[in-house]
Amino acid sequence: MSEEDGEIRSIDEINEKIKHGDAVVLTAEEMIKLVESSGLEVAAKEVDVVTSGTFGAMCSSGAFLNFGHSDPPIKMARCWLNDVPVYKGLAAVDGYLGASSMSETKGFEYGGGHVIEDLVSGRDILLRAESYGTDCYPRRHIETAITIDDLNQAMLVNPRNCYQKYDAATNSSDRVLYTYMGTLLPNYGNITFSGAGQLNPLCKDPNYETIGFGTKIFLGGGKGYIIGEGTQHNPTSGYGTLMVKGDLKQMNSRYLRGASFHRYGTTLYVGVGIPIPIINMRVARTAALKDDEIYVDIRDYGAAVRPDLRPVIKRVSYAELRSGKVTIGDRDIPSSSLSSYKMAREIAETIKKWILEGTFFLTRPIEPLPKHGRTKPLKVKGRELRVGDIMSRNVITAKPSDDIKEVAARLVERGIDHLPVVDEDGKLAGIVTSWDLARAIAQDKRRLEEIMTRKVIVAFENESIDVVVRRMAQHNISGVPVVDRKNNVVGILTTDDVSRKIVGGRTAQ
Amino acid sequence: MRVKLIYSHSVVEKPILASIVLKTGIPINILEARINAQKGELIISIPASGEKLEEILNLFRESGVQVQEFIETLRIDWDKCIACGACISPCPTRALRFREDWKLEFIEEKCVACGICVAACPVKAINMP
Ligand code: SF4
Ligand code: SF4
Repeated sequence: MSEEDGEIRSIDEINEKIKHGDAVVLTAEEMIKLVESSGLEVAAKEVDVVTSGTFGAMCSSGAFLNFGHSDPPIKMARCWLNDVPVYKGLAAVDGYLGASSMSETKGFEYGGGHVIEDLVSGRDILLRAESYGTDCYPRRHIETAITIDDLNQAMLVNPRNCYQKYDAATNSSDRVLYTYMGTLLPNYGNITFSGAGQLNPLCKDPNYETIGFGTKIFLGGGKGYIIGEGTQHNPTSGYGTLMVKGDLKQMNSRYLRGASFHRYGTTLYVGVGIPIPIINMRVARTAALKDDEIYVDIRDYGAAVRPDLRPVIKRVSYAELRSGKVTIGDRDIPSSSLSSYKMAREIAETIKKWILEGTFFLTRPIEPLPKHGRTKPLKVKGRELRVGDIMSRNVITAKPSDDIKEVAARLVERGIDHLPVVDEDGKLAGIVTSWDLARAIAQDKRRLEEIMTRKVIVAFENESIDVVVRRMAQHNISGVPVVDRKNNVVGILTTDDVSRKIVGGRTAQ
Repeated sequence: MRVKLIYSHSVVEKPILASIVLKTGIPINILEARINAQKGELIISIPASGEKLEEILNLFRESGVQVQEFIETLRIDWDKCIACGACISPCPTRALRFREDWKLEFIEEKCVACGICVAACPVKAINMP
């Protein structure tokens, strides 16, 4: 047992103080300042509770709703709220509304997160449901308007909230990416990040000494509870998560905001805050952790690979990210957050106020959360189809100095549309299509090099077909030369190859 | 003051802006430029007011450049804004930033109305009128 383990105060003692209005409560920012001015020892002795907060997009959020029975009753098999599908694999009038479920009529603009915000705001929501009719539930269709007051229960139950920290994002590719990490400009044009860093609840007790099953928290403007570790809980690497629950009817839409990320989808901004009782020196120390001591990786979203394989560009602290620019190589790249530091601060202040008023008491966890564990990737049975599996290896190429008419004749004879142009060493120098050639002949051009496209969109043999098909669609092209790392042409892949060789889904050849 | 200059085909190749800067000594800042052989459009910011500003605008007009007032570019709904920052780093002209208290701040003079922030805002708090 180290010195740090020695108990300074118990949770019961703190609650006693709260009852008498004697508890000393600081927000995490205030705690940091106190430690800086008076030292950790003094701060740990003086402060009973440190409050934290975060307000960010948390896609794994949603609500269990119970609609009540109609007369005649219905076993809702499919159900929509404001045209947003509700999960109905539950009992007759129970449903789960997920934050990223999207409206069937408004798409990206409106989703489950927005319905939750509208419910909490007391707005009218259009409920529509269908059924096949049973002896006990004869009704087959229902359409009505409801508000949150009409629901028997509306429980926010979020399987993954409150990430301890989250890797930042940038984009090496040559086009704008619209992601769940926001708008990422081409050529490392900007960096986005998420999480409240020094205010983030799980950063304040990363050893899970005070945060556990049953801990009472601030959730969406009301009081909620931690009901377990969240999905993808990865404490070993410092990326813990929480599963939380709270009564939607007591929440406030200021802290639950429907959102949509352009061309990505809908989500919910959730406000979460946790009070950290300063029970020993170790907790005092972590509660005072600062932005410049909390590190994440900046990952390149330009690479279409599994999230954990996205190349790491740099490891940075929240302090650097929050400063508005991050230096990479000799460039200063603008950085900005996606989660709100202002709201995180407001949440930490709110819990502090509740505790000082004596309306919020601390809970001792009934069980600790797992302190170890990692997140595994999904194993895909059968091998993912790669470019090399279906590309044509027998590729016809031309030289920059070739005569356009001759080349055109060759294309017609072979019935092909795309012709990579290679230099003396066999390296890719450009591409022409049959359409380019037809136009060039009409304009009386002579040599390929006069008309070839020099900036060629290419693929590599080991890339996934889905990734390359998306690339072709984005550039509005129907074929790409396949090159090796030395830019030698090894094949060609066309949309024709893809549709001809991939029949009935994924069963190739 | 920000204005939009429209250069017609006949004047697009003349160094009008440069000579006005030299003549008046006012450092005019180009915020956005779209120019090709046929015509050009510039959005500029002129750090002057009153008579001096009128003088500059007249010099442009006399040189055959059309001058338009460049009005409100963006409308931010402050009740909706959650101060997340998602609009800040994508903005090409640094027209959006956080204040000291982490509230969003919009620096209208820098904005060129490109619309990137409109798409970037997750709660649709930014509109182009
Ligand atoms: S429209 Fe938005 S992104 Fe574009 S310059 Fe103005 S503030 Fe910046
Ligand atoms: S992205 Fe929207 S909500 Fe976020 S700071 Fe900008 S205007 Fe406000």
